[in-house]
Amino acid sequence: MNSTDRIMATLTGKPLDRRAVAPVLSLYGARLTGCPLDQYYTDPAAYARGQSAVRETFRPDVLCAPLAFASIGAAFGSELVFIDTDVPNIRRPAVQTVEDWNLLVPPDPDTDPRLLYFRESIRLMAAEHRDQVPISMVIPIPADIPGLVMGLEAWLETVLFDPAGAQLVMEKVIPFYVQLVNGFFAAGAKFVAMPCGFASPTIVTRDIVSTFTRPILDRVLSQLHGPVILHNVGAPLLAHLDLLTGLPSVVGVIMDQRDDLARARLVVGPDIVLFGGLDCSTISQMTVSDVENRCRAILEERRQDPRFVLGTSGPDVVWNTPPENIHAMLKTAESIGSVGV
Amino acid sequence: MTIQQSLIEKIRLADRQGANALLDAWATEHGYERLISDVLDPTLLLIGEKWCASGAMTLAQVYIAAKVTEDVLNKIISMRINPSESHPPKGPVVIGNIEEDFHALGRRMVGTFLRAEGWIVHDLGNDVPATVFVDKALEVGARVIGVSAMIMTTALNIKMVRQEIDSRGLTGRIQLAVGGAVFCVSPGLVGEVGGDGTAANALAVPDLFNRLWRQSVEKEAGA
Ligand code: B12
Repeated sequence: MNSTDRIMATLTGKPLDRRAVAPVLSLYGARLTGCPLDQYYTDPAAYARGQSAVRETFRPDVLCAPLAFASIGAAFGSELVFIDTDVPNIRRPAVQTVEDWNLLVPPDPDTDPRLLYFRESIRLMAAEHRDQVPISMVIPIPADIPGLVMGLEAWLETVLFDPAGAQLVMEKVIPFYVQLVNGFFAAGAKFVAMPCGFASPTIVTRDIVSTFTRPILDRVLSQLHGPVILHNVGAPLLAHLDLLTGLPSVVGVIMDQRDDLARARLVVGPDIVLFGGLDCSTISQMTVSDVENRCRAILEERRQDPRFVLGTSGPDVVWNTPPENIHAMLKTAESIGSVGV
Repeated sequence: MTIQQSLIEKIRLADRQGANALLDAWATEHGYERLISDVLDPTLLLIGEKWCASGAMTLAQVYIAAKVTEDVLNKIISMRINPSESHPPKGPVVIGNIEEDFHALGRRMVGTFLRAEGWIVHDLGNDVPATVFVDKALEVGARVIGVSAMIMTTALNIKMVRQEIDSRGLTGRIQLAVGGAVFCVSPGLVGEVGGDGTAANALAVPDLFNRLWRQSVEKEAGA
């Protein structure tokens, strides 16, 4: 089986030669090719070269398009800071208040160079790996986008104290978001993974999820042209997972390493693919045998689950992670062997 | 239900208006002078101890707690009541986000809860170089510096604050508190950057600063 076969078989619950393994190695590609990060996160060819190196080195079952949320904020006018060994971050948000949104025209996904960077990276990667390794794009859910444009504090303030203002902001974000994400699918992304900041139990209450975040998700996801995987954003998700079931387009959920996978399975039902595994930050401090033992324990626990993928939770596997630790994930899946045969 | 329990319930429901109405009603009866010491402080302490320890509190709720706290502080200042009537002033202390870090929200909430407990806070803002933290601490006589960082790479810049404190012979005399999202996901990181302590939540920070301040005084007395 190649990686695409393995992922498709996982989606449909068919037997596998081994578990699919999908660590998030968007940033790591730059380490492998020695590419300066200001180039890596602006030049699609440089990014695609990094992902070719990721594929050659680690043979993961999914390749990630650029995971760089701050650049989406930059397309709206937020100012970025580039860091030597990490993804760019937002230095100054584009606007300060909800009133500023009245004048704000969202960037055009078909012409804005910062957004075309994502699309072109996907296109190059899909052309090279198309039938062998699926490409996944990662972009936060629509309700997280204003935080990248006006800063988390101003956005939280708006959602909490000015619900009508928050809705007006979302009316600008939603058409932009649908066009952007459908552009990713058209360029060759097989999935889009969506970190759920404004649905996370660390960020918002259940009430905010049910009355604000979920209705937006229902509306947006029903307009998308491809499958979506909900993502934990680097914090436990289980406590709100029941509020996110039955959404259109959703085929999978990436759980946090602290979440109980058996309970998550009960909440989402049998048809959704669950991703679980190691934390993207702490994997850097583990020994190879720690990684093997932890992966083995997870895979043993999920042995009977046909729709499970071993991965990493949180955003990118951090820069200083020893390559042996990443190799150890795949090796463990290989050593355990076939599933459901 | 006690006033503290009712206030916790309003904060749990992210109901800022309701919380303010409750506090105003209490203050009309008992006086704004006692609002911080009798109601706000014990409530924040309760939330910090019970709720935060279980990890069940959302950012939205901590934010509401901070807003309600700011509302009370502003009201008291506008009524020209001296906040130190209920609290002898503590500190001063210095806080800021480390060089290259721009995630202000956590640090600002830390500042609010410290002020509510009577601390005099010098907030240096975002992207603060190590030397500026230590210069400011020396200038104002702070025994605690609180440094915030959200991501791994910027958190590692805090090592420079540690070096700056040590190289000026201030080890122990100036205590280094560290915090922010990445410290909550990487437990070994506090030691790695040379922090003297951390707190997973802004509500628990005043307690941490009390402890670190004491440590600094003891260190100086012992020296
Ligand atoms: C919601 C979230 C997002 C949201 C919004 C983020 C934002 N602030 O703008 C979105 C989806 C947009 C996002 C984006 C990114 N994120 Co993010 N995100 C989170 C999450 C879930 C919460 C972070 C947050 O803002 N919390 C709210 C703030 C107020 O809380 P806080 O910083 O923890 O502060 C509290 C305490 O720590 C304490 N405190 C704060 N300062 C201090 C100081 C002292 C002295 C003390 C004692 C205490 C203290 O008090 C505060 C209030 O209680 C965390 C994971 C987690 N479990 O925390 C990841 C996390 C912070 N993100 C992470 C990353 C990497 C990113 C991105 C860089 C991803 C990317 N590749 O693009 C981007 C950066 C975008 C940017 N801003 O430039 C990583 C960072 C780890 C690392 N390896 O470096 C984390 C830790 C996820 C993980 N598990 O790995 N993210």
